Amino acid sequence: MIEKKSKLDFYPYFLLAPSLIFILVIVAWPLIETFRLSLTDARLGGESYVGFENYQELLEKKKFHRVITRTFFWMFLSVGLKILLGLAGATLLNAKVPGRALFRVLVMPPWVIPIAIGCIGWLWLYNSHFGLLSGIAQRIGLIDGPFGFLAYKKPAFYSAIVTDVWVGTPMVTIFFLAAMQGVSRDLYEAAWVDGAGRWHRFRRITIPQIMPVIVTMSLLSMIWTFNSFEIIWILTEGGPRGATTTLIVDTYKTAIGNWKFGEGAARAVIIVALLGIFSFFYYSLIKKLNKFEERK
Amino acid sequence: MKSIKLALIGLLLVAGSSFSLRAADLHFIMCGGEVREADQTVVDAFIANNPGVNVNIEAVPWGTCQDKSLTLAAAGDPPSISYMGSRTLRQLANNDLIVPAKISSDLMEAYQPGILNTVTVKGTHWGYPRAFSTKALFINCDLAEQAGVACEAPTNWDELYDMAKAINDNTDAAGFGLVGKDFDNTMHQFLVWLYSNGGQVIDLQTGANMLDSQSTRETLALYEKLVGVAQEGPTAFERSQVKDLYNDGQVGMYVEGPWGRGVHNEGMNEIVVPIPAGPSGESGTLLITDSIAVFKGSGHEDIAHKLATALTSGESQYALDTPDGGWGLTPIFDYEKLGISDPYYKGDDYWAVFINGIGAGGPEPLVEDFKIMQSVFVNMIQGILLGDDTVDNLVSIAGEEFDELL
Repeated sequence: MIEKKSKLDFYPYFLLAPSLIFILVIVAWPLIETFRLSLTDARLGGESYVGFENYQELLEKKKFHRVITRTFFWMFLSVGLKILLGLAGATLLNAKVPGRALFRVLVMPPWVIPIAIGCIGWLWLYNSHFGLLSGIAQRIGLIDGPFGFLAYKKPAFYSAIVTDVWVGTPMVTIFFLAAMQGVSRDLYEAAWVDGAGRWHRFRRITIPQIMPVIVTMSLLSMIWTFNSFEIIWILTEGGPRGATTTLIVDTYKTAIGNWKFGEGAARAVIIVALLGIFSFFYYSLIKKLNKFEERK
Repeated sequence: MKSIKLALIGLLLVAGSSFSLRAADLHFIMCGGEVREADQTVVDAFIANNPGVNVNIEAVPWGTCQDKSLTLAAAGDPPSISYMGSRTLRQLANNDLIVPAKISSDLMEAYQPGILNTVTVKGTHWGYPRAFSTKALFINCDLAEQAGVACEAPTNWDELYDMAKAINDNTDAAGFGLVGKDFDNTMHQFLVWLYSNGGQVIDLQTGANMLDSQSTRETLALYEKLVGVAQEGPTAFERSQVKDLYNDGQVGMYVEGPWGRGVHNEGMNEIVVPIPAGPSGESGTLLITDSIAVFKGSGHEDIAHKLATALTSGESQYALDTPDGGWGLTPIFDYEKLGISDPYYKGDDYWAVFINGIGAGGPEPLVEDFKIMQSVFVNMIQGILLGDDTVDNLVSIAGEEFDELL
């Protein structure tokens, strides 16, 4: 019996169309337009096509290489601390202690407070003459006089890291806590019966069981931290002397501060490319590690 | 048929002419976050005298005011007129976003010396000067006396440093309030000292880059010395934050504009003196103006010019400058030339300090990429404040970077 060729069913595509159009308009078009802009010398007065000149100039500048290096260092340090503190916090919040519900609520404010408000608070904390940190340090004899945390290059960088970790850790903690609560208690009981101690149970049961969440949160956190703008901008605006200028801050200063839209767009495309390459290698590495663990 | 065509053409002409009689809606972006009474009075009178014209004043806070106008212009929806820092005029003019100002000759003669240089690019005036300021040195006499030094004007940089050091060593306060944050007034404060040392940034006649000079090196060397007697971490401070320290008695002296008297603690025992002369110059100051720019493409530039002129001349401008109800700025005009017989600054020693230095003052340099210019200066200044490099190297690098802007 010859089967009739069925007609192509457009109905699913019809249902998907609104979302596709939305994604095209909100995501695809801006990306394409940004790439197009990056091939021009667009500025206040107009634009003309320059090809890959913007990219060539950028990649030849040592200053830009330093910005990239600084951005990755910022990302790895901040995310590393968030993951470690998040794991520690989730473990503590998962423990059966009195007042656990209250502690879980108290961990939220840094994430809930609008970032700008939180950063302005930190700005005052870091102030040399009126700030709490400098004041306390003087009173306990740690320093002789006022200290400007944001006035010097390395202190400003690490102070911005502290603020970023403060903002980002609660969310990581909550996600890890949710993952830990999904781990079967039977596994812990069986391990306890076999004489496994707390650290052993944590390392051999908790971590492997919540590893997918750790991997996903790490990647998301890295992307968010890589593109973190408000914290740096409010605290230091990329200074002093560029010490806290990451790629996103450099892009903003170029495109919005200096009205050089073409050069700014080139930087934005480089950000997308770097994050894309990084994500690819990250997932490849995780896949290899998982295969290695399975074979063990 | 012919008569119908003629009738239609006639109808079109009448309709077209009625467009020109319809209301012209002027959009005026004013910085400061509030509409001043004096400006509202001028605008109300302007509307009354120009039937069919409406003026919408949009008061925008200082931090975003300029960017808003530039963003609107870049998007093809420019304001009719906007209050802009004069440093932006060259960029706006080069990008064909504004039209030249039409300043009458009698007003040109009445401006204080050097004012029109701040709005002139290649011989054309691009803005109506609106606000003008110069700088002077404020000294806390209580701290000076506590330090055992006479509270009087230092006449040169050595005396300035000695006074600051005495305050720093003998009181709990820092000797000098130094500004070093990535902010425009960091560059401005440096220029104040540079111009008091016979320095230049751009030769006003030839347009040549004059930044890499002995005067600049001496000025940067002054900063290197002052770091030792300044408040902790000057790279985290811009001028208004130093003002807070001054009000709190934590710095002995700092450079401020004429509004200083109004923002310092009432009853503060202080003097205001000219910027002391550097080793290579005479006491000078920085001439900064903000202007009203008429944007291109609004469709009613002629009316916009009239409004800009009304706002920036005669009594309206005087009302802005005067401290009573106004901003308390350095007078932009020699108001006696405009017929105001007893201007607010006459016979007042306070104002004399801000006015007498005008002749030796220099303008804020007009370059297209003014924010990059600011970065060049801030990078140089922060370099010496952080001890990153030598005076020579920093000035050489700044000179080269500035060359790329011209």
